[in-house]
Amino acid sequence: MITAPQQESSVRRILIVDDEDLIVMAMRKYFEGLGFIVDGAFELEEAQALLANYRYDLVIADLRLTGIGGVEGLQIVADVHQRCANTRVVLLSAYGTPEIERESYNRGADAFLHKPKSMMEIAHVARTLLEQ
Amino acid sequence: MSEHRALDAILQPGGITPVFQPICVVKSDWKVASLECLSRGPKGTNFESANVLFDYVRLKREETLVDRACINTALAAAQNFPSDLHLGINVHASTLGRDPGFAEFLRCAAELNGIAMHRLTIEVVEHAPPWDGVSFLSMLDRLRALGTRIALDDVGLGQSNFKMLLDVRPDFMKIDRYFVDACASDPNRQAVIEVVTRLAQRFGASVVAEGVEDEETVEALQQLGITLMQGFYFSVPLEAHEVREKFRSAAATPPLFDRETKAVALPPHS
Repeated sequence: MITAPQQESSVRRILIVDDEDLIVMAMRKYFEGLGFIVDGAFELEEAQALLANYRYDLVIADLRLTGIGGVEGLQIVADVHQRCANTRVVLLSAYGTPEIERESYNRGADAFLHKPKSMMEIAHVARTLLEQ
Repeated sequence: MSEHRALDAILQPGGITPVFQPICVVKSDWKVASLECLSRGPKGTNFESANVLFDYVRLKREETLVDRACINTALAAAQNFPSDLHLGINVHASTLGRDPGFAEFLRCAAELNGIAMHRLTIEVVEHAPPWDGVSFLSMLDRLRALGTRIALDDVGLGQSNFKMLLDVRPDFMKIDRYFVDACASDPNRQAVIEVVTRLAQRFGASVVAEGVEDEETVEALQQLGITLMQGFYFSVPLEAHEVREKFRSAAATPPLFDRETKAVALPPHS
């Protein structure tokens, strides 16, 4: 099997994970406009496959990617930190309880944002994390 | 919204694009020994990258379904290739261990596309156990009985270890690019390749070096006794129409690999 080398670039790379196409499309467009390379994933396994093959500066993931009660975002946080300690992770959720939020930070999330949040608010958090 | 929409997109007609990368015999002249069938996922998606595609498929544990789809697509695309051209097809060890109908499926798919079984080499790939070892080895026996040959992919990495070599007794051992890349200047990599080459001799197998990208590597591998090579130095993976064009034009030209242009324009090694 051919193994493609990872792309090296000075441009920062972001992964956006959400099961809603429109959210991924909108965030992709916004962050590409800010000069980022943006990949989008709609499922946990798609995000994991991308994390296995590319190095990201920032991952913005919805906490819930499947039906009621899903917390796939926590798995993404774990995967990110297993692969690259320097990658920042922002979790988004419309269902974030204090317990889930605490658990997210315990697992290594850098920010936990409660939906709805404007694109500008998300971008502000992203920039702050990337400048740290 | 489907939880498996990416998988649905991969499996829909046209979702998988087959490409073919030549494996060359590098002796006094260079010839194409066979083509490895590779797969790309839906265009415009993350799965155009084979690594992302198959990592995703393994995470979904859908290797069997996707392996079959890739084989169907590749053999359909290869049906008009020269009839003496051999084809390598990648199959997960987990598929061979879990899919009791695989041998019959392959026989039917090959027959449907006019491809003789002896032209096929099963390239066994695996990244994570477990699979049913007894069923896996039994399936290899059935495939051999049908005339296919067996290659072990990524020798030296992950699950392609000494146990796999003993169990599988491959006809070909494919050395991963991790060992091949920069081997010309790295005595340690040369040592690993030399060990694999000696093992292959004891097993009666042939060694294929993957990921060959420059002349220095070709020369280093030749000095280590390796004559089967694959990589961008010889050719990028070709779409089916490109294979047909190149082999058609080969009818009017000497059967030699063009070392200057690195153009694959020759009939297969006989």
